[in-house]
Amino acid sequence: MSSPAQQLPPGWAAEWNPEHQRYLFIETATGHTQWEHPIAQQQPPEPSTSPPVTTAAQSHHKRRQYAAGQTQAYYGAAEAAPDPGYVAPGLQPQPAGGQLFTPGLAAENQFQSQQTQAPGQPHPYFTQPLEQPTYLEPYDQQQQQRSNYVQPGVDALAGQFGQMGMGGQKQFQLYTTNLLTSPPDPHELFKPPPEIRLPPNACISPSPYANAEPSYQRCTINAIPTTSSLLNKAKIPLALVLTPYRSLKDGDDAVPVVTDTVIARCRRCRTYINPYVQFIDGGNRWRCCMCNMSNEVPQLFDWDQATNQPGDRWQRAELNHSIVEFVAPTEYMVRPPQPAVYVFLIDVSHSAVQSGMVATATRTILENLGRIPDEDGRTKVALICYDTSLYFFSISAESSMLVVSDIEDVFLPKPTDLLVNLAECRAPLESLLGRINDMFRENSIIGSAMGPALQAGYKLMSAIGGKLVVLSSSLPSVGAGALKNREDPKILGTAKESGLLQAASPFYKTFAIDCSRAQVSVDMFLFSQVYQDVASLSHLPHYTSGQTYYYPAFNAARPEDALKFAREFGDVLAMPIMLEAVMRVRASRGLRMSSFHGNFFVRSTDLLAMPAVPQDQSYAIEIQIEETITTPFVVFQTAVLHTTCYGERRIRVVTLALPTTTNLSEVFASADQIAIATLLANKAVERSLTHKLEDARDFVHQKLVDILVAYKSSMTSGGAGASAQLAISDNLKMLPVLVLGLLKNVGLRQSGQIPPDIRAYAQAMLTSLPSQLLIPYIYPVFYSLHDMPPEAGTVGESGVIMPPPLPLSSERLQRYGLFLIEDGQTIFLWVGRDAVPQLIMDVFDLPSYDVLRGGKITLPVLENPFSQRVNAVIQKTREMRRGVYYPHLYVVKEDGEPALRLWALSALIHDRADMLPSYQMFLTSLKEKVNST
Amino acid sequence: MGSAGWLFLFGVLMAAGLLFCMVFFIIMFSDLECDYINPIDLCNKLNQFVLPENIAHASLTLLFLVFGQFTAFLLNLPLVLYNADKIRKKSHMYDATEIFRTLNGHKKETFLKLGFYLLSFFYYLYRMIAALIAESE
Repeated sequence: MSSPAQQLPPGWAAEWNPEHQRYLFIETATGHTQWEHPIAQQQPPEPSTSPPVTTAAQSHHKRRQYAAGQTQAYYGAAEAAPDPGYVAPGLQPQPAGGQLFTPGLAAENQFQSQQTQAPGQPHPYFTQPLEQPTYLEPYDQQQQQRSNYVQPGVDALAGQFGQMGMGGQKQFQLYTTNLLTSPPDPHELFKPPPEIRLPPNACISPSPYANAEPSYQRCTINAIPTTSSLLNKAKIPLALVLTPYRSLKDGDDAVPVVTDTVIARCRRCRTYINPYVQFIDGGNRWRCCMCNMSNEVPQLFDWDQATNQPGDRWQRAELNHSIVEFVAPTEYMVRPPQPAVYVFLIDVSHSAVQSGMVATATRTILENLGRIPDEDGRTKVALICYDTSLYFFSISAESSMLVVSDIEDVFLPKPTDLLVNLAECRAPLESLLGRINDMFRENSIIGSAMGPALQAGYKLMSAIGGKLVVLSSSLPSVGAGALKNREDPKILGTAKESGLLQAASPFYKTFAIDCSRAQVSVDMFLFSQVYQDVASLSHLPHYTSGQTYYYPAFNAARPEDALKFAREFGDVLAMPIMLEAVMRVRASRGLRMSSFHGNFFVRSTDLLAMPAVPQDQSYAIEIQIEETITTPFVVFQTAVLHTTCYGERRIRVVTLALPTTTNLSEVFASADQIAIATLLANKAVERSLTHKLEDARDFVHQKLVDILVAYKSSMTSGGAGASAQLAISDNLKMLPVLVLGLLKNVGLRQSGQIPPDIRAYAQAMLTSLPSQLLIPYIYPVFYSLHDMPPEAGTVGESGVIMPPPLPLSSERLQRYGLFLIEDGQTIFLWVGRDAVPQLIMDVFDLPSYDVLRGGKITLPVLENPFSQRVNAVIQKTREMRRGVYYPHLYVVKEDGEPALRLWALSALIHDRADMLPSYQMFLTSLKEKVNST
Repeated sequence: MGSAGWLFLFGVLMAAGLLFCMVFFIIMFSDLECDYINPIDLCNKLNQFVLPENIAHASLTLLFLVFGQFTAFLLNLPLVLYNADKIRKKSHMYDATEIFRTLNGHKKETFLKLGFYLLSFFYYLYRMIAALIAESE
């Protein structure tokens, strides 16, 4: 901002404070000082829906803060204040003088003065269309109603909060937003969660990495309430959302490794030493941050074993990093580190061969043999093909095929040579993989003995453990685990539908338990054109920490299908995995992990068994507050004991410290909407299995209503009575739209049209995707490409610049436009019916809209800047998130195939779609519910 | 001793057996909570007892009906129906994958059953003695 002195009201002076690098404002008459600009405080806020991103980057809290008392004092009367609706219950400025404002707030004020200086300038980043019919019309009415919202109660409340801070700790500001007048802004979802404000001296390290990154571990509330009654008052679920084995993208820091096997742990609670412990007794002992136990520092803690000299303990990674890996000594091993084992079960029945799955899969394995993790040359591989019999391959200099047609009592036809060392048998493996498709080319057997094949694979590897990769394109029909086609269009959309989402045969649970015991993890790749019972099959990956991948109606004759599968399968093969892992989450006294959601088997009250952990899998753990917490901050520590795929036993430790609070407004102000949405997705899916789909939707909806009611009755002056607005804290304002997205997601949507396979797969995604992928999956991203800003699609400082995301409403679709909608799994390129031939020519290299065909497509890269920019945007969309998914690209014509059109439109969740409400209707029904309770 | 006496003596013994069975269940559940046993072993062990327990209880109830002890029969009928419903829904067995999620429910159910068997134990005892006294008079 330019010199603020020019815009000061009479009686004020500004002074530059070099220590804090900002202006200090002095009211000359009283000597009263404050950090924020006196005018900025009194500026009416713009009804704008999107702030410039520059300020968004600096601050989490967008809504500005106005002290109600001052506003009135300056303008004389309340009616002069243009928009008192934004007067949030918050901080009364300077009751005692000298109280500092938060940096976020200062940034807001800067934003204010920027806006006043250049009111006519358009937003530098986001040009919002002027007309916005749905949102602006009610706004005017709302404004009238909201003026009676400012009541004396607010001032009292504000003063109360101002004084309730913890000693020396900066307090969260609570900004209230009226959901009815502030349409959801997709930019909000890219913001980091509310800042974690630890008390000073909580952390012994000055390192910026001392607290866990949200992508590894985040909590639904970033200030933990001290009592469970306070938590119950807020109604916000308390849970951790974690992805301990996150992949590293370019620019991510590698996880530091402690190699000297000096592992300091608390004697009582077994917590690993971390940046939040305290050194006492001259540094000879350390006090555990969770149970307060005083422990001895190990002798070699200050010894640098690399140089054999005394070392500096403050340089140790575990005291400076929240995410750290320890190399574990032999006490942490039940057996010597196992080699990585990959057993492939390939369906070679008629349909599998015909769809080209066998050819694509074997070629992908062949091409990726070199990428399978095998740094130490110990990795073992086996291949088993199956239709209604099992085909084993003895892999040696002269490979042979052994057919076992007795599938009742599975046995291994040969004791050796079935499971071979990848490095030693590379050549025979390669020649075998090259021949498999030809061997079964003429196979006309229909049916699948997947159960017996699983048992055979299990027998082969149960002594070691590892990964069992199943590729199947038909419903298991013979032997153990045979399933029936239970798809019945009549019961879709009824209460009985959830039965289709449960395992049809107990085999898939008992076998999963056997696998988990033997450290075998199952990955399912499913390809069927017809019903395959994904619900039952996905139980195996679910309990063995694997992952389900589903390619409905796969046909390798379409290059897009083959490419997508080959890429994802190749990435899964190349992915470094954690073997034989167990995970435990420890927390400070008073907190207990109460329930666990995700792909693993719960082996004891708090121990999660994961035979092979893939990268980027997310877990959610609910937390209970069992007793009153007395410490100023609490610590959550996730420890994953695992064997790396190159045979080293390691412990990955992720530490997250969060402050505690006794203040309800801080609980609301620090809630993380993305973590809450992730948790709700997990809980809803679980509920849809044990209860009905209807119950799952009601549960999520009720949870949201509870939060809104809690907020209304405790944080707004409206209290329990009816109110014309729907208030929520600013940091939670995307929660309703995320919940709406969740309710409209294929996994939970109310509809009689969704095949149970598709639904089961969507549910498997909802419970395993990390937040980064889950949020677009429930709230897709929508860009307008034909009028994207000139810099979009070009390479900027941080890679390709993306166009600004639009709200997910079909009002934004224009008849002449080109739009992109993506949810991380699918990309739709929407072409309006009046698209000019030049646009079609530039992007698709076709003469006109009429010749363009809808459906899966590979977009050509043409010799014109627009095509290259569109391709860059699509490329970036496919690469910007973690995970192996390679979304399909569909061209959707506005007057094209109705099914595809409806599918694309169902991603626009602000719209109304048959039984599902539009966002406005959803809010109205929420408001009614909130007011009636 | 007449038929009623023998019947209730049998009832007392069965109730005692069922009582012990429930105590065993509860001990196992608390073992699980204290991490002395893993859920897989627990479920394998307990599932052996689920059906025998249900059958024993159902046959005792049937005996009451056959011998015309309608009060005792009616007292036991709700539990028989409850068990039968669980078997019909195939949810009578303990599921190792869900056990931690459903543990509280299981414990509550087992405690209620324990109380029920305890009360019926004393009731049968009382009826047995009453039958014996009636006989000797």
